[in-house]
Amino acid sequence: MEYTISTIAPIVLLPFFAFVINAFIVKRFTSLAVFISCASIIGSFFYAARVFFDFLNVFSADYYIHKTFTWFDLSYGSFPFKLDMGIYIDNMTATMLFMVTGVASLIHIFSTYYMHDDKRYGRFFVYLSLFTSAMLALVLSENLISVFIFWELMGFCSYSLIGFYYEKEGAGNASIKAFMTTRVGDVFFLLGILAIWSVVGSVSFVDIYQAIGMGKFNGLYALGIPLATFAGFSIFMGTIGKSAQFPLQVWLPDAMWGPTPCSALIHAATMVAAGVYLSLRCYPLMEAGHLTMFIAYIGGITAFGAATIALVQTDIKAVLAYSTISQLGYMVLGVGVGSYNAAFMHLITHAVFKACLFLSAGSVIHSLHDHHTHAHVQEMPRMGGLRTKMPYTFLAMLLCTFAIAGIPFFSGFVSKDRILGDALLMALDNKAYWGPAVLGFGGALLTAFYMFRMMFLTFFGEPRDKELYDHTKKEGLSWNRNVPLLILSVFTLGVFFSGSLTGQGFIKVSSEKYEWFKTLIVNPTKTDFSGRQAQPLSFTANPSGETFSKSKYDSTYGLSEEKAHHIHHVHHIGALVSIIIAFSGVFISAMMYFWRSWNPGFWVSLFSRWYRALQNKYYFDDFYIKGLIQKGLLPLNRLLAFIDMGLYDRYAIDGWEKVNRALFTISKWFDNIIVDTVAVDGTGASVRFFNVILRTIQSGKIQFYFIMIILVLTGYIWTLKI
Amino acid sequence: MQASSNLLNWILWTPFIGVIGVLLLPKSKENAIRWWSLINTAVTFALTLVLYSKFDTTVPGMQTAFNVKMPWISSFNIFYSLGVDGISLPMIILTGLLFFLCILSSWTVNKQVKGYFALFLFLQSTVFGVFLAMDFFLFYVYWEVMLIPMFFLIGIWGGENREYAAVKFFLYTFFGSILMLVGMVALYYASGKGVDSFNILALQGGKFSSLNLELFGTSVSFAKLFFIFLFIGFAIKVPVFPFHTWLPHAHVQAPTAVSVILAGVLLKMGTYGFLRIAYPIFPAASVHFADAIAWLGLVNVIYGAFCAMAQTDVKKLVAYSSVSHMGFVMLGLAAMTVTGMNGAVLQMFNHGTSTAMMFLLIGILYERSHHRWIVRPDGSKGFGGLYTQLPRFSIVFIIAMFASMGLPGLSGFISEALIFLGIYEKYTTITVLALIGLLLGAAYLLWMFKRMFFGDVIEECKSYTDMNAREIAYMVPLCVAVIVFGIYPAPVLNVMRASVGKLVSMLATY
Repeated sequence: MEYTISTIAPIVLLPFFAFVINAFIVKRFTSLAVFISCASIIGSFFYAARVFFDFLNVFSADYYIHKTFTWFDLSYGSFPFKLDMGIYIDNMTATMLFMVTGVASLIHIFSTYYMHDDKRYGRFFVYLSLFTSAMLALVLSENLISVFIFWELMGFCSYSLIGFYYEKEGAGNASIKAFMTTRVGDVFFLLGILAIWSVVGSVSFVDIYQAIGMGKFNGLYALGIPLATFAGFSIFMGTIGKSAQFPLQVWLPDAMWGPTPCSALIHAATMVAAGVYLSLRCYPLMEAGHLTMFIAYIGGITAFGAATIALVQTDIKAVLAYSTISQLGYMVLGVGVGSYNAAFMHLITHAVFKACLFLSAGSVIHSLHDHHTHAHVQEMPRMGGLRTKMPYTFLAMLLCTFAIAGIPFFSGFVSKDRILGDALLMALDNKAYWGPAVLGFGGALLTAFYMFRMMFLTFFGEPRDKELYDHTKKEGLSWNRNVPLLILSVFTLGVFFSGSLTGQGFIKVSSEKYEWFKTLIVNPTKTDFSGRQAQPLSFTANPSGETFSKSKYDSTYGLSEEKAHHIHHVHHIGALVSIIIAFSGVFISAMMYFWRSWNPGFWVSLFSRWYRALQNKYYFDDFYIKGLIQKGLLPLNRLLAFIDMGLYDRYAIDGWEKVNRALFTISKWFDNIIVDTVAVDGTGASVRFFNVILRTIQSGKIQFYFIMIILVLTGYIWTLKI
Repeated sequence: MQASSNLLNWILWTPFIGVIGVLLLPKSKENAIRWWSLINTAVTFALTLVLYSKFDTTVPGMQTAFNVKMPWISSFNIFYSLGVDGISLPMIILTGLLFFLCILSSWTVNKQVKGYFALFLFLQSTVFGVFLAMDFFLFYVYWEVMLIPMFFLIGIWGGENREYAAVKFFLYTFFGSILMLVGMVALYYASGKGVDSFNILALQGGKFSSLNLELFGTSVSFAKLFFIFLFIGFAIKVPVFPFHTWLPHAHVQAPTAVSVILAGVLLKMGTYGFLRIAYPIFPAASVHFADAIAWLGLVNVIYGAFCAMAQTDVKKLVAYSSVSHMGFVMLGLAAMTVTGMNGAVLQMFNHGTSTAMMFLLIGILYERSHHRWIVRPDGSKGFGGLYTQLPRFSIVFIIAMFASMGLPGLSGFISEALIFLGIYEKYTTITVLALIGLLLGAAYLLWMFKRMFFGDVIEECKSYTDMNAREIAYMVPLCVAVIVFGIYPAPVLNVMRASVGKLVSMLATY
């Protein structure tokens, strides 16, 4: 099949049409709407799978599809302006499509379990479909404006989903917070688009890569900043907002006000992934703008800082929310240290295990029903010992915890370890990178600790709320509750990412040359874009039949033997360190919460001040909401509104009326004198005449004055004799 | 081409025929008056669509096929001259659409029905006059006459403080009109009182660039002086800061349909004036003052948004949001690039549809609540839980609100993006600052939405009924417009691009 816009479009349009249809029928035919949503995303998944495996069959880092059509054209004479829309599919896109549709399908299926008894069951799926289609369209976008459009649409969807229980005050606030915080980033993103447009005259990725390759950005400035830096920074701000990086991380934890499956979607496959995806797409720009170190620091700070907050959370979803921020920090760190391939791999592996973790958390929460408050329980202090009650959920969650904690042979280890290895490599090269590298390794220790803390508190030990525990039914295997979890948890195995998925046997662990991920996902600056042409390929498997032994896309390609050796050496050290760190984290966690030999309270009292700071999320919310907004923005608004109506309009505008009235009074007074004096002289008739005119004026007919002004001005202009 | 050349006459005079019809109907036949008005505006709207279908999008200037020209006051060389180009056509269609929908929304007006509909149709006629006139004097006459129906519509059918608002609106606009009149007279003399002295098209092209005149002993550029005159005249209508304070009063006091027309169409007359008169007649002066226009536009964007955020009356909030959004149009006009100017005209159209939705929705709500407090002066909630109580209403409101804040996929985004693309290179600093307006725009709307629609249904909202069929009928076309032009703006952009391009290329030579 030849890939064109119309043949690719169904991937996006299936869920989009589901959204459109469901928006109309959801009220009356809820079950049908749910079915349409699920069927459409699964259909989309099979379509995306086909694209993905076609790309795997071609197995070339150079291959991509780029098709456009004109959205609108404003050209006139010598003023060209044309905006194209279209699709750009390379290996990264294909992988993303596969991941997004796959994860989203399972989330859809899980939602039929989780949301079934909700009074807005159908509406949830309406948003879900729109959300997924927006993400898919974003992934397929060939230019930044198109990315921006779907980026914002996702912002809207997340707003709707986070505010899904809008009756609750907190949900309403959280939804606004999410939308506004990400919009801060979005506004910068738009600025970046404008800056790029001013140089390239287009925002198509291919054109941008070419422009960077040709050095078009060199020597240009915007507001005194080198243009590549300006544009790169602006676009990266978009990532900071969307992917909840420091200092705009505040919205993501509040996003758990939404239903749990939507948290899974936001935290894993869609919203936050889009941010990292954008910075990967714009990676050449970040390099050209010398922003990599800044990015690495942002990533490092986020990865570590969020992990510290996660240490003290007692809400199971809150732990996962902070772990998301932290893991996104690793991806951004990966972008910063030039670990393009691993950053993207971490995006994919994280999407899988985080979706599974959230859904598992949902499975736990949904079955813990407090009969007194009629609410689901999310607090870990009331859980414990649930392992026996929910064996399948436990199994799935355990595998994912292994992955996120970086236990060897699990996906998280493969991707995170590469990022950390590259960070170490950079640090050895340039001392300034020690900061992010150390933060990264430190965060890994904390991650292993708090994830296992969560596991121990939830599933191990004695049930701490006996009544709740006894009321909980034993979990059976059900297609829409734990089967999606188990499917996802299978893909936390590292081999899927470090092995081969091509025709040479599905998984081939031992042979390095078949690491499909490493081979296919290539930093766009590494290849010469001007030479890369989109070809209408027919997908015969591996057309040239060549074998990819030590391909030019290998990270060490073109380097001297010695250098390559050094890289491998550092990577091995990094791997060793992260394994030690991961197990240390697990060990400490087990000492505190499994064997209970160490009392966590001791550490809390030792660092009580830090503990409070962590519980208050480092006071970011206080600073933004109580400080900037309540003490800055709102008083400023009220002041300006008062100046506008209370001062400016009241005095400067309506004051004219007073001036006019004063003039009338003066003339009346003057008139009276004349009347008096003239009346004595006995010429009453003329007096009455003037009096009538002036009284007419006084009755408020200010128009008369205007007519006078017109006459005077007209006369004046006439005397100018032009 | 005889048939089509009368089309503009028909568009202009059909509402007037409607006025006569309303006047002929007996006062007691209220429903007959309503139906007659509805049919009349429907016919007018259909005629504007016929105009669209016959419009040649490749012609940059006036569409000569439709021109109407005959002498009116021959001794002053004043003509009854009508024309249409790509800049006025979107406005004409918008006028046709909004008046049609507003008649539907005015169905519930019960006070002096005959007078209301007569004045309303009369207003439509004068608005078409402004957008169609190609003779400056004719333009001016329509511009002025339009004040009469507006004055009475606000002053009689308005809210509690209607008389104050009506007088204020009248005087403010009148002040601007006088400056415009002076400018017009000056142009009449400067162009030699000849046959084309009031011909807007013939006056164009920078004929007065080198003209100077003595004023208080100093030499002043004719073009610059009278550009300022015209600028203030039009700026009051837009309204550009600091001439904006009539707007919150007039919008809040006016009845729903009049607010819709005011925000949807009349504000655009100001920016239309720039595009049709001030810019083409004084191109050099426009370029000279572009920086000032851009800064004023920026002030509008930011200041309007800040003021909007502090409002507790939802209609006033939307009124200030209009100030902010019209600021984007001014920014686009200041850009004088293909993107900026097209964006400005598109924003005029898009703001017309989205703000009309907002005002119509507030009107629908007002009919149920009889108040508009987001937060009452005593601090209690004015509304609460409307999302639960009025689901259909809420969905339409969400569409209107997000269109208004420029969410991609809805119409406002494209125009704003084009404007930003247009001004970025010339005014980077202003662009950066104006982007804050996007942020604030989302903030005040979402905050308002949260306070009114989220939460539990408060006691007094429990009696509200959801939108009825009539209300849905007039909201649906606007929803469709906002969504369709958000996804596929080409139908509007294709109409305007040649005309706008011509203006831009003319300005580029200065």
